[in-house]
Amino acid sequence: MSEIKAPMAGKIIDVKVSVGDTVSEGDEVVILEAMKMELPVTAEESGTVKEVKCSKGGNVEGDATLVVLE
Amino acid sequence: MEIEEKIAELERRNREAELGGGQKRIDAQHARGKMTARERLDYLLDKGSFQEIDKFVVHRCHDFGMEKKKFPGDGVVTGYGTIDGKLVFVFSQDFTVLGGSLSGPFGEKVCKIMDLALKNGAPVIGLNDSGGARIQEGVVSLGSYGEIFKRNVWSSGVVPQISVIMGPCAGGAVYSPALTDFIIMVKKTSNMFITGPDVIKAVTSEEVTPEELGGAMSHNTKSGVAHFAEDSDKAALDRVKKLLEFLPRNCRRAPRSIVCTDDPERTDKALNDVVPTNPKMPYDIKDIIVNVLDHNEFLEVQRHFAKNMVVGFGRLKGMVVGIVANQPKFLAGCLDINASVKCARFVRTCDAFNIPLVTFVDVPGFLPGVNQEYGGIIKHGSKIIYAYCEATVPKITVVTRKAYGGAYDVMSSKHHGGDINYAYPTAEIAVMGPEGAVNIVFRKEIAAAKDPEATRQKLIDEYRKNFASPFKAAELGYIDQIISPEYTRPKLIKALMMLRQKKDSIPERRHGNIPL
Repeated sequence: MSEIKAPMAGKIIDVKVSVGDTVSEGDEVVILEAMKMELPVTAEESGTVKEVKCSKGGNVEGDATLVVLE
Repeated sequence: MEIEEKIAELERRNREAELGGGQKRIDAQHARGKMTARERLDYLLDKGSFQEIDKFVVHRCHDFGMEKKKFPGDGVVTGYGTIDGKLVFVFSQDFTVLGGSLSGPFGEKVCKIMDLALKNGAPVIGLNDSGGARIQEGVVSLGSYGEIFKRNVWSSGVVPQISVIMGPCAGGAVYSPALTDFIIMVKKTSNMFITGPDVIKAVTSEEVTPEELGGAMSHNTKSGVAHFAEDSDKAALDRVKKLLEFLPRNCRRAPRSIVCTDDPERTDKALNDVVPTNPKMPYDIKDIIVNVLDHNEFLEVQRHFAKNMVVGFGRLKGMVVGIVANQPKFLAGCLDINASVKCARFVRTCDAFNIPLVTFVDVPGFLPGVNQEYGGIIKHGSKIIYAYCEATVPKITVVTRKAYGGAYDVMSSKHHGGDINYAYPTAEIAVMGPEGAVNIVFRKEIAAAKDPEATRQKLIDEYRKNFASPFKAAELGYIDQIISPEYTRPKLIKALMMLRQKKDSIPERRHGNIPL
């Protein structure tokens, strides 16, 4: 199991995965807007999405868990 | 005794010294995947160039039965030789001799070659693999460390100092590498910490392995103490050789230029498409850096740490340059504490060794946050200002996109002594971003408007058109030239050639007081 975390505080402008999806290393899972930039947050390893802990339009803290993989 | 016998005796003693702590310990060293102190020097230095000094030095300790445990050389191999024909001084700690522990004479040997290096103006390369102080020697060992530290400080900025950590390096021993210019760590076999896992557990109950606490990747990603992490002893020594290509012998020389076989007039239309026109889209600044350097060769320093800032060495028309760049791909390229310290340290390293600086700017500002403020971003951010203002080497700047607010000033701006400041047409140089500026300047107009949102958007668009460009700065002479990205390489080379004989100075003083 691994967690994909927010690299910095910001606003979630897109969530590209749902529970049950399989993702590969390097896939974009969330787009985070911070410092006027739309930063893709990518999976660091492959796995299946177990939980999505953020939603489009929501604000997150830096280091907050966005997606849990297993 | 005949001369033949005397020579035979010398040879016997040489062989004895070269065996270090004995075959059994050498085998154990190999079993750990490590080379011996002498094998490392053989690999590092030009064949046949090594001249050993103090091969027969032994310790003088008579406590704890140490008088029966003497090894010629006393746990460190020291001397001088050449790398790629260039003089270097070296010490290589021998873990097979009493765990590479540092005694009085061991320290004296290291100091002797450091003194020679300073007098003769040549780099010092230290290969570290030591259990730490030799406890049996007591405070003598501490005295030796202190003498080494002092020489590290005195040599700082005079001759390049490179430390390779190839085994344990703990306690006070870490301060010698920490005072040098570059630290290269070998993955899995090396670690560095002030207090080890056992002491930490006893004092704070935190459980951590030596690798987690002070392994190569911990210091390359988390602490920023190290500059490179390599897979093996050989890879680490190769890194030393590569790094030395970019460094001069000492602060009175410039790094060696080489004949350039890459066309200095080389342009590339692909560069026009690297910076996205949508300012919210990230891109990899290294696509520009690698493109413009000779043969697309870039030696990145601290690759794993504070990735929102990229620093490293390359060449333009054969001349060595230090590259500093914001990286929009990570943390939007903003400046935070780690990026500031990484940048300032590298700028000062380049300035100390006569290496011109090329800075690529795409910075939205400083990272907002309570942690950043409490962590002292004011103090750390000011280090960038200090480093650039103090640097008298040629300074060339290219604003690729964002240069907003205070972050504009600090990144090698005209005001801080930028010699030639370029901007791409995509540059946005302004006091702040359009959204923020409009909300402040037009607060009342927006509030009073029939449709505040539409009014705000219209004002933002106007602001972006009028102010989020390089032209306002160019009108003021803050930007010398606006260039098409495809011409970046020839433009940089022309500026660098013009600045080759640059002479500049800052006011005389005892020394500055950089905010630490």
